This record gives sequence, C-alpha cells and structure tokens, in this order.
Amino acid sequence: MNRRIALRHLALISGGLVLIPSCDFSSDDILAAYQNLKVTASQKTLLGAISDTIIPAGEIKGALNLEVPDFILVMVNDCFTKENQDKFTAGLTAFPDYVQKTAGKKFESLSTKEKEELILTGTKLEGEDTPEGKAKANISYFLNSTKRFTIQGYMASEYIQTEIIPYSLIPGEYNGAVLITDLQKPRING
Amino acid sequence: MANLNIRSRQERTYQAIVIGSGISGAWAAKELCDLGVKTLMLERGKDVQHVKDYPTTNMLPYEFEHRGQVPQKIQDENPVISRCYAFREDAMHFFVKDTEHPYVQEKPFDWIRGYQVGGKSLLWARQVQRWSDFDFEGPARDGFAVDWPIRYKDIEKWYSHVEKFAGVSGNKDGLPNLPDGEFLPGYELNVVEKYFAEQLKKNYGNERHMISSRCAHINGNLDFYAQQGRAKCQNRNLCQRGCPFGGYFSSNSSTIPWALKTGNLTMRPDAVVHSIIYDEEKGKATGVRIVDRLTKETEEFYADVIFLNAAALNSNLVLMNSTSNRFPNGLGNDSGLLGKYVAFHNYRAGVSAEHEGHSEYTTSGGRPTSGYFPRFRNVYKQETDFLRGYAAGFSAGRGVRTNSEGIGIELKNNLLNPSEYGPWYVGSHMMGETIPKESNYVALDPTLKDEWGIPQLKISVDYDDNDEKMIKDYIEQMSEMFTKAGFTNIRTRDDKRAPGLDIHEMGGVRMGKDPKTSMLNANHQLHAVPNVYVTDGASMTSTSTQNPSLTYMAFAARAAHHAVAESKK
Repeated sequence: MNRRIALRHLALISGGLVLIPSCDFSSDDILAAYQNLKVTASQKTLLGAISDTIIPAGEIKGALNLEVPDFILVMVNDCFTKENQDKFTAGLTAFPDYVQKTAGKKFESLSTKEKEELILTGTKLEGEDTPEGKAKANISYFLNSTKRFTIQGYMASEYIQTEIIPYSLIPGEYNGAVLITDLQKPRING
Repeated sequence: MANLNIRSRQERTYQAIVIGSGISGAWAAKELCDLGVKTLMLERGKDVQHVKDYPTTNMLPYEFEHRGQVPQKIQDENPVISRCYAFREDAMHFFVKDTEHPYVQEKPFDWIRGYQVGGKSLLWARQVQRWSDFDFEGPARDGFAVDWPIRYKDIEKWYSHVEKFAGVSGNKDGLPNLPDGEFLPGYELNVVEKYFAEQLKKNYGNERHMISSRCAHINGNLDFYAQQGRAKCQNRNLCQRGCPFGGYFSSNSSTIPWALKTGNLTMRPDAVVHSIIYDEEKGKATGVRIVDRLTKETEEFYADVIFLNAAALNSNLVLMNSTSNRFPNGLGNDSGLLGKYVAFHNYRAGVSAEHEGHSEYTTSGGRPTSGYFPRFRNVYKQETDFLRGYAAGFSAGRGVRTNSEGIGIELKNNLLNPSEYGPWYVGSHMMGETIPKESNYVALDPTLKDEWGIPQLKISVDYDDNDEKMIKDYIEQMSEMFTKAGFTNIRTRDDKRAPGLDIHEMGGVRMGKDPKTSMLNANHQLHAVPNVYVTDGASMTSTSTQNPSLTYMAFAARAAHHAVAESKK
C-alpha cells in the first residue's frame, strides 16, 4: 500500500473530508458527496476537463456548463458495482501519468486537438493480462464510462430537454404511418 | 401481543369485509357499495390516493437523479424485484422490496408484489382480453386439473359490466377464441404491424391473427368517464407512476373513489390480515383479525360476508393461516387442496428481428398498447405434442439512430442533429398457458414468520416438460412467421426466468364442481364456508393464455352480486 492510498484510507476512517498531501497537488480534498468513491476535488476538475473535451461549449452549452462531471460521479457512485467503481477510479487516478507518458505534458496544457486524440486513443486501449495491461484496461474503462455518462448526462439535462430538443410529457396521438419526408426533423424526446 | 379491540364490537361491524384493495378487491367493494352494502376494505399497505400520492407522475427525465436507473445497492439487496421490468427509479416506491417482506423459495420464484391501496392495479400492463369457452373447457377436454364449474355464458355479461366501467379500448375482431366486448375505439396498429397481420392471413389462411391488443385505457365516451373523474389517455406511457388523468384503469383512479362516493365504503389501510375468524357454533366466518402494520396491535372486524382478494398467493396464505378446530389445515380446506395446483404464465421466450421494408415510414406520438396474437395452437383440437398453447405480444417500431461517434464538436453535432432512422425492429414475447399440478404448491413455512407474526409463505413452483415443448414450438413458429413475412436478422431467446416474473401467478384455491376436488364453488364461495368468497387469482382452475386481470374483475363483480342476492334470501 503506497503512502497516498494509506492516507486516503485514513481520511475515510477519520470521517471523509481531510487534507491529503500528494506529489501532484499540495492539498486535495476527498469529496464526501461520492461516499463510495475516493475522488478528490482536483480529480473532479480533471473529469470536468475531459467531459468538456468530449462535448465542448459553443453557441450551445457544453457538458461542463451543465454540471455533467457531478452526474458522472453520482452514477459511478450509486449505479456501478464495487468492481466497476474500482476500475473507474483506478483509471481516473492513472490518467494524469498516462497523459504525461503519452503526450509529455499535463492534460490541461494540451491543445483541444491533442486532448481529443488522447481521449479517443484511450477509449480504444486494450490490455493484456499483465499489470501494465490492467492499467491500460482501467484507463480505457474510465474513458469509455466517462464518454457514455457525458453523453447521457448532457442529452438528459434540463437545458437540452427544454431549450434545445424539448421533451414532451404528452407525445400526442399515435400515427402509425408517417412519411419521413413529411417530417421536418426527427423527434427524439417524446 | 397488544389487543386494540377497545372500540365496541358494533363499531367494528360491517355488512361486508373485502380483504385487499387491488384490481379484484376494489371491484368487489365497488359493487357491494353500489348495492347499498356497508363495506370495510382492508389493505395491508399504506394509503395511496389518486393523483395526490403519485409523487413521480409529472417528473421530467432530468429530474430523476439516476435518469431512471435503480441504484446498485438497492439492486444488490433486492435481486427479485430488481428483475421486474417496471422496477425503475420512477416507480420503485410502489413495489415490495425483497428485504421488506421475505418469503421462502423452495424453488426459484420471483414474487412481485405491490403492498399499498390499489395494489398492483397501479402497476399492471393493462392488457384485457376476454376468455372464451376454448379456455373454460380446456381442463375437461384435455384432462388436467378439474373442470371449471362455469362457462363463458356465465361470465359474459360481467365482462361487459366491468369493461364499460373500467374503459376498454379495442376493435371488434370477430375471433371465436377471443370474444369481442364493450369497446371504446381501438388503437391503431402501425404500418409494419399491419403488414405483418396481412402476411399472416396470406401465409396461414384464417388460422393465425395479430390484432391490436385490447387495453384498459379511455379512448372515447369521455362524458361517461368524467363521472369517475377520469379523462382520455394522453399516450404518456408513464402509467406505472400512477396517471393524473386516470387514463388507464386502476383501483385508485376508478373503483375506490366511486365506492367512497356512495358513502358505504370504509377504508382501513395498514391492516395486515392475520386470519379470517370462523365461528364453530354459527358454522360460518364472522370476521377478520388484523395486525396494524405500524403499531403491531391486533384488532378484529366483523361482517356477514367476507371477500378475500389479497392477490393470488396471499389469499392462499390468509386461508392457510385461518385455522380452527373445524378447519385445522386452513379455512375451507376439507379437500386438502388448499395451496396446491398453483400455476402461472410462461413468459420465458421471445423472438425479435428487423424489417427492411417500409423504410420511408416512421411513427409519431404514443399509444398505450401494441399487437396481440391470440392462441392458435390446439384451439379446436389437440394437434401438437404439448397441451394447450400460447398467446404472444407483438410490436414493431423504429427509432432515430443515436450517433455517438467521434469527440468534441463532431460528437456534439452528431448528438444534436440526429438525421438517420434506424431499421424497423419487430419483437414478440410468448404468454404460455401452464398446466396446474399438485406438485406446484405454496405452504406456510413451519418456523419463519414475518414482522407481524404471520408465517412466511413457502413457494414451490416450477416449469415442466409441457412448458419446455411449448417454448420450443413458440420459437419455431414465431421464427417461421417472421421468415415468411420477410423479416431478417431473426434472434430468439429463452431467458430462463423463474416463474413469478410473469406476475400472473394463479390458483391454490381453485373453483370446481366437487368439494372433494376443489375449494370454491361456481359462485366463488368456499364450499365449506359459503359466506367467504375468493375472487382473485387464487380462484383460477386453469390459466389459459390471456392476461388475467379482466377475468378477476368480472369474477369479483359477479360474486358481489351473488352475495347480495344470497343475503336477501
């Protein structure tokens, strides 16, 4: 057990929110809101940067504007098995080193294009049954889960479902034979 | 145990007691109240009042913290209920969790329950097909169970009676094995479903039909339903949350408020029924003993007539726990058959495929039903190596393809500008009749009790060879029908689900002509205790293939009128 993990355990035992020294950041709080995960504030910021790369802001808001990182962590915290939570957090924890090794820089220092390529490549990583392979598999699992939840959290957000593609609780009378050419735009929300 | 019989006996005496507020109990209560009978309705769960107690009914998708998904911890702790298709974040508060009400599975059985006022009528799939004599005559013709003591002519007018009030939409299809009823305008099949129905006619003559399934939704005669405070179905497809329009039939939206309006109904939620009280001197049942769900105190209520509608397996449990010197093995159980010959519907198999044609079409709006295949196997005579047959659900639909390729602006554009329709998907699932057998039974566990001191139910129900052969035949036949219709990429499944997940468990207190081989007579009275009526799923002699709720409603209404007629003799 390395020092940081030991300290995190200590943090959990002592009630969640304590300061943890680490080599990457001078201090970093474990977020008590996600009680099944040991995710720090800076890891959530990193997750935000990743989700912002996956769906960036523009004329229409992006994932980060819609608090998608919180949604991702809620889903992982509440709806993942323990095993998958471990894979996700292992991937999240290993991601900064992975970025440093592959791109030679920190994630936030990369250009948009570099970030996109790094994430896309990361989602396709396949790991053989070795410690390095498992680490790769964790990164791929983390990035794929993050992409999936980013899309879900974004598309099923209040903003998208009220202002961009409105959802209707009352979808209207059934028509069982609509010519697609008569429709202006496919309806996806109700 | 504390006893709360402080109020005078007179205050706790009614003309009738109905145990259970689900689809059949509320029908019994509604009819009794309409006929002027002072009725007490006992419900073991909490009160759920129409609209007021539907907390999620108007919630938007983004208002659900997990977008509909049930958190892992709840799933881990409640594996049985988590397998139910409707146990989702929006309706999970209406289902019994495994941890709350344990039972004993001698063989795997997914017992799906809804303990609240309205019971499972809030949660049902609302499909309402009549039985015909091809169903009622099944046991006698094919030599299983016992002969039903009634036929279609005995129940026909009661089907009409409950259909009119509940609101049933459907088409007059003119099929002898699926009699037409009192229908509001039916819902339309879509272009691919119609195509498939035509293909069936072409390929199988007049022997196989796929129709718009009759459903308990209001689609016309609106002034009539306004008297119940109900309005037209809005096609929301959020029924399991409780419908603020009363667009579909439930006890909560329809029969209970109606019965309350008569002034004859008293509701008593949080009343866990312990047993029915039998008076040996009078030779009849005189009341019901309950345990308060919250205070755990016992209380007794009295009446001249008792309707037992606790839902199939719990009605068995109540009778088994109602012991006396006269009935040491459960109320009315002279035959020793109580709890035996339990059956269900076989929902294990499904077939799906794609359809390349009609690619210029899609659908819009919503509808509360889809297609239905009435049974076509062994209808007129025995023709396969298994007894009876299966009905099937059928539907076709297509969606807009979600393009989640790429990343960044490209992905965002893909997501926000969906342009491509996916293929038409078609799907079917079987609803097989199972043969009631003595070896499929429920019993009281000799030692385990629940929180209220009532023995836990032990369930021992399984599939048999007949079911396996039927699954094989369904998969073969549906695949053949799909192939002949030109559907492609046909996939078949047998999900090996445990019995119970069909939520159509039946029997254990079956009807019959002979007290030696049945529990109930043709009027749903216990042979040995005629002032006790059982009119829910427990009373079923055989299961047929149709979704059973409509038949329970008709049984309950018919029996209520019988009870009132008897009391006037």
